[in-house]
Amino acid sequence: MLHYTLQRAALAVAIVFVAISALYMVMITLPGDPTSVLLGPRATPEIRAEFRAQMGLDDPVLMQLAQFWGRVLSGDLGTDYYRDRPVADAVMGALPHTVALVVGAIVWSATLGILLGAFSADNRNTWLDRVSGVLSVGFIAAPSFVVALYALLFFAVTLGWFPTIGAGEPGDLGSRLYHLALPSFAIGLAWVGYVARIVRASMLEALGENYIRTARAFGLPRRKVIYSYALRVAILPAVQVLGVGIGGMLSSAVFAEIVFSRPGIGSLIYDSVSGRNYPLVMGAMLVAIGFFVTCALVADLINAALDPRHRKLS
Amino acid sequence: MTSSRQRPLAGINRRQLLAGTAGLSALTMLPVKAWAEGTQLNVRAYLEPDNFDPLNASGFLEELLYGCIYRKLIQYTPGDDWGYQNDLADTIEQTSPTTIAFTMKPGQMWSDGYGEITAEDIKYSMERHMVEENNSRIKPDLGPFSHVEVTGTHSGIIHLDKPFAPIWTIALPYLAGTVVCKRATEEAGGKLDSAVPPTVAGPYRVVEQRLGERWVLERNPDFSGPTPDFERVDLVVIVDESAAEIAKEAGDVDFTAVGPGSVQRLQDTPPEGTTLSLHPSLAYYWIGLNVNHPKFEDIRVRQAVQHAIDVPAILQAAFFDVADPATGIVAPGLIGHRPEGLIPPQADFAKARALLDEAGIDRLEINIDVLNNVTATTTAQVMQAMMSQAGIDLNISVHESGSFWSLGVESDGDRWKDLELTLKRFSMTPDPYYATAWFVSDQIGDWNWEQFSNPEFDKLHEEALSETDTDKRDAMYRRMQDLMEESGAYRFITHGATPNLYDTDIVPATRPDGLPLVQFFRKA
Repeated sequence: MLHYTLQRAALAVAIVFVAISALYMVMITLPGDPTSVLLGPRATPEIRAEFRAQMGLDDPVLMQLAQFWGRVLSGDLGTDYYRDRPVADAVMGALPHTVALVVGAIVWSATLGILLGAFSADNRNTWLDRVSGVLSVGFIAAPSFVVALYALLFFAVTLGWFPTIGAGEPGDLGSRLYHLALPSFAIGLAWVGYVARIVRASMLEALGENYIRTARAFGLPRRKVIYSYALRVAILPAVQVLGVGIGGMLSSAVFAEIVFSRPGIGSLIYDSVSGRNYPLVMGAMLVAIGFFVTCALVADLINAALDPRHRKLS
Repeated sequence: MTSSRQRPLAGINRRQLLAGTAGLSALTMLPVKAWAEGTQLNVRAYLEPDNFDPLNASGFLEELLYGCIYRKLIQYTPGDDWGYQNDLADTIEQTSPTTIAFTMKPGQMWSDGYGEITAEDIKYSMERHMVEENNSRIKPDLGPFSHVEVTGTHSGIIHLDKPFAPIWTIALPYLAGTVVCKRATEEAGGKLDSAVPPTVAGPYRVVEQRLGERWVLERNPDFSGPTPDFERVDLVVIVDESAAEIAKEAGDVDFTAVGPGSVQRLQDTPPEGTTLSLHPSLAYYWIGLNVNHPKFEDIRVRQAVQHAIDVPAILQAAFFDVADPATGIVAPGLIGHRPEGLIPPQADFAKARALLDEAGIDRLEINIDVLNNVTATTTAQVMQAMMSQAGIDLNISVHESGSFWSLGVESDGDRWKDLELTLKRFSMTPDPYYATAWFVSDQIGDWNWEQFSNPEFDKLHEEALSETDTDKRDAMYRRMQDLMEESGAYRFITHGATPNLYDTDIVPATRPDGLPLVQFFRKA
């Protein structure tokens, strides 16, 4: 397991390095002068020149990239010169909101998806199974931003059950969760479908295994057999899907953060890309990619811990 | 063994399910929105203000914040006509073309024990914009400002190097006129970049910045003016206009601008307890033609394009008929506004075709660069559909904002040379100088993407800055817009409109262009 963990961790670091370096090269070649975009029309040429120098934009691209990695290795994500604050502060201020959003989405998708998948498998080949299949595919097909908008209109405007904007009052867990419910539901809904389909398939497979037949033969209660033995094995692929799905959820978080006017890494990246705020883009992307890769790594390790065959397959 | 259909999921029976559902339903009806009610005012901001220091201000978002927490000698008067009212100033008058004398109301205080606001604070606040190392982003707003001569604790004289008419319309009542506390700023090292300003003078003070979400303000107990009606004001950051409208309808904000596409619906069926107000905007939209592009070197081709653009059709499709055609870059109500343009808003396809024939062009294929928002793309699509009647094939290139706003910038590559048509919108302050400043020859390669260069225009722009006779100044700016239109490089579209949606239990205060002056908001 240690060898496997080290191997996976090294791969994760390499992925982050390559992804960020490639992103930097792409970003720097995008049209759009950050000094014009950030400082606006009233900035004098002298201010723009100083701003370019501060951001290191006059240096060769490879040197800028090397400087960026040098700073990162020394624990400094750079400075957001536009607002004159450390990038780390901006990113770390936004990160908890996005993590909460993604975790909320995972909770929604895992809870509803596993229940729906298990229910479907338990009622296989009945009309209930078919309805659940249609629902699952419908959830998968619905784009997150459309779900977000309609959820907002229905649950917040029409019914008035949830707030439309913000992340809630700081220090008030109830308010935070209340503001989190709808956006995380909008993101998690698509994954309910994926998880349900996967859980259903794995559960049907598990229900046909010898150990389940044996358990039944021993007279164990049906509920215990299905939900303690079969489901435990059947959710393993769902864990991996959700781990990889965090990337998709992070993408959806951009829409959810904009539609629900929540702070977060998604909206921070969106704003900083539009404004060509390079230090902030890089810092936020580093953390977002790092978060994604870490989640995928953790999902891999959980899978390997639960099912030793994964270690060999890798 | 029981069949799965006989045993409900996880052993929950129907009665338990109904009880659980009822419990959850009751939970969702808890009065969790109480925080948004009472004496709290939530005003939408479309982006986040930059920071607390006027040196780093870039536009109205900072003004939205500064209006609440700082004071000025004079402030814009809320209402339908542009004007100003005294704030810190007791008296203020132009004593010569280059001097403005003022006296201040005594007893106006800084919060948190920073004492009285004095003429020294006025001097410090204005002069720090001129200090090279401070890199003030709004230094140009002060024009030929020289210095402030302090003549007493509550009096002084503002000196200009030469006459500067916009000092009354742009400098003093707007960002550059914001007064900061000399002592507090010096203690902070010369710049106000702390999390919360050490002292304020306006009706509200900053409690908390929730970056990316909202700026929380509360009543300033040391405010020397009348106590504001609201205990707390939140500037709520909502980037997306539709999201803001939804938030208003759900009651999560009390005042927001809405999109022109919503006006008809909101007028026909206004949400309960809300009012819609419509204000003419100062901003200006126009189609620019790059006069140095080989396709447009012949003025007849440029004029053909001008006549082939049907402004009413654009206003109907892209602005939902809530905005009027523009006659130039200076909006109604401002000095220099032209009652009529040289070219009528309606297209004249026959004339456009004839001009192309004269130029020896059978079919003209051109490109327009636009931003990736609905208004811009719809405008371009309307143009594309209609210009073909004049024998003009229009291709549309859509850009995201970062890419678009550097298209005409020389320092960002060679794209500025290849531009053909662009659709742009510039925001505006209530002085015509702010509009014409972008079209002088010096701005080519920067913001003058049409590469329009006219010595008479440049001369008039300089002279109008110093002209204090209103009628003469008015004529100068009208002439400048005639020159722009005659060049064939411009087709003016509209100034747009600002529709605001707000609660009926508040009395909003706005500038004539509809932008909110939150410091003057009251309860109904």
